[in-house]
Amino acid sequence: MRLALDHLTASHPFWSLAANGVFSPGVHLVSGDVGSGKSTLSLMMAGLLKPESGTVIREDIPRTLLSFQFPEFHITGLSVAEECRSWDLDPDAVIRAAGLDVTRKTPTHSLSRGELKRLHLACVLSREYDLLLLDEPFSSLDCPGKEWVCRQLSNRAGGITVIFTHEQSIFPRIDHIWEIIGGNLVDCGEMPGALVRWQHAPVLVKNLINAGRIPLALTPEGIREAACRTRG
Amino acid sequence: MITFENIRHRFLAIDSLVIPPGITSVIGPNGSGKSTLLKLCAGIAEPDCGTVLVDGKSPRETEVGYVNEFPDRNILFSTVKDELASPLRFRHTPCRETDMTIRACAETMGISRLLDRTMQDLSGGEKVLVALATACITRPQVLVLDEYDSHLDVDRCEWLNPVLRASGAGYVIRCTQQMETAAVGDQLIYLEKGRVVHTGTPAGVFARLCDSPFYPLSWRWPI
Repeated sequence: MRLALDHLTASHPFWSLAANGVFSPGVHLVSGDVGSGKSTLSLMMAGLLKPESGTVIREDIPRTLLSFQFPEFHITGLSVAEECRSWDLDPDAVIRAAGLDVTRKTPTHSLSRGELKRLHLACVLSREYDLLLLDEPFSSLDCPGKEWVCRQLSNRAGGITVIFTHEQSIFPRIDHIWEIIGGNLVDCGEMPGALVRWQHAPVLVKNLINAGRIPLALTPEGIREAACRTRG
Repeated sequence: MITFENIRHRFLAIDSLVIPPGITSVIGPNGSGKSTLLKLCAGIAEPDCGTVLVDGKSPRETEVGYVNEFPDRNILFSTVKDELASPLRFRHTPCRETDMTIRACAETMGISRLLDRTMQDLSGGEKVLVALATACITRPQVLVLDEYDSHLDVDRCEWLNPVLRASGAGYVIRCTQQMETAAVGDQLIYLEKGRVVHTGTPAGVFARLCDSPFYPLSWRWPI
């Protein structure tokens, strides 16, 4: 199983994007500034947007899902129960998984954005995909919600997971880091070596690297271990 | 001061809350009532009972700039320029003054490059930046920002902090899920299940949240 971007380009009157690289099974992190083309890249990787040139090669990837950065774009049911059933899922199980204080009849449009994101991600993470593309999965989630998503992603049995995010604090187990710089997708490499090349690294990670203690993982446990090493 | 007295609104219950001038961050679990509190501050919602006053006046008698947590719900017009101009045009500001104010505001907010774009062309973060500039353009007394940072990168958030301080707003009330952002405000309010659980300086409130996931990571492990 692999996803390859073969000299992919997308352009716009105001920006352009070039991407080349291979995404193997594991959890990939893609970072970049506001408006750098992360969402456009996610659409092309999902096959929902045709690149201007180049190709997206999917090998042994029958099941793909793209989770949009705006959870409201996914909603098709008027109530929580209708929304869960649209994913062919049991509403009570989803409500429990999402940790929501709602009923089956709660209208989806009455949920706060964070609650909507939890509902959407609980539906997404209740199913299996070979390629799971998550555009800003942490936006609007509270800290316990981010930790819950990270646990779910870290425990995914297999497949390719690509996370496009600005998140700076809470991460799942990350295997490979990429970033968009100057209109190009840059391959920072595998963890933990990728961290020293990662320009969008969180300040805490940069401080740890500068202190000579490269975290072995971006998970809270990995950061804690590196921070304690620094103190010792 | 912004004062809340005997507020009951939806599931929000606040007997007494005082928000002094400056940047106030509101944090708490999803569904704890942050957006509801912000809507009361902005005058978008009126409480079922109790009173909210901004320097002794109703929020609806106060100049307020508001950014919704759903970026697309901020958009009224198809182009960035028209969106930015809308608060000025609604008050019949002369065209020349409107044009000059748009350009100055766009430069201050770092979005001059977006002026000739359409709203549907923008990324999530760019939509929020335009909404923020539109909220600031009339230099309101109260700026209410509901998770404006959820689609912004950390550098842009840090860059915006002094911009918000220079916006002319006496009160900036912002809801955020980025604890590093909440840590640099003047006041912090922690909500849970519709109740104000902690309020005070960021240092004081976070000291009471030190065993929770809400405690800023950079404070937990200062390097």
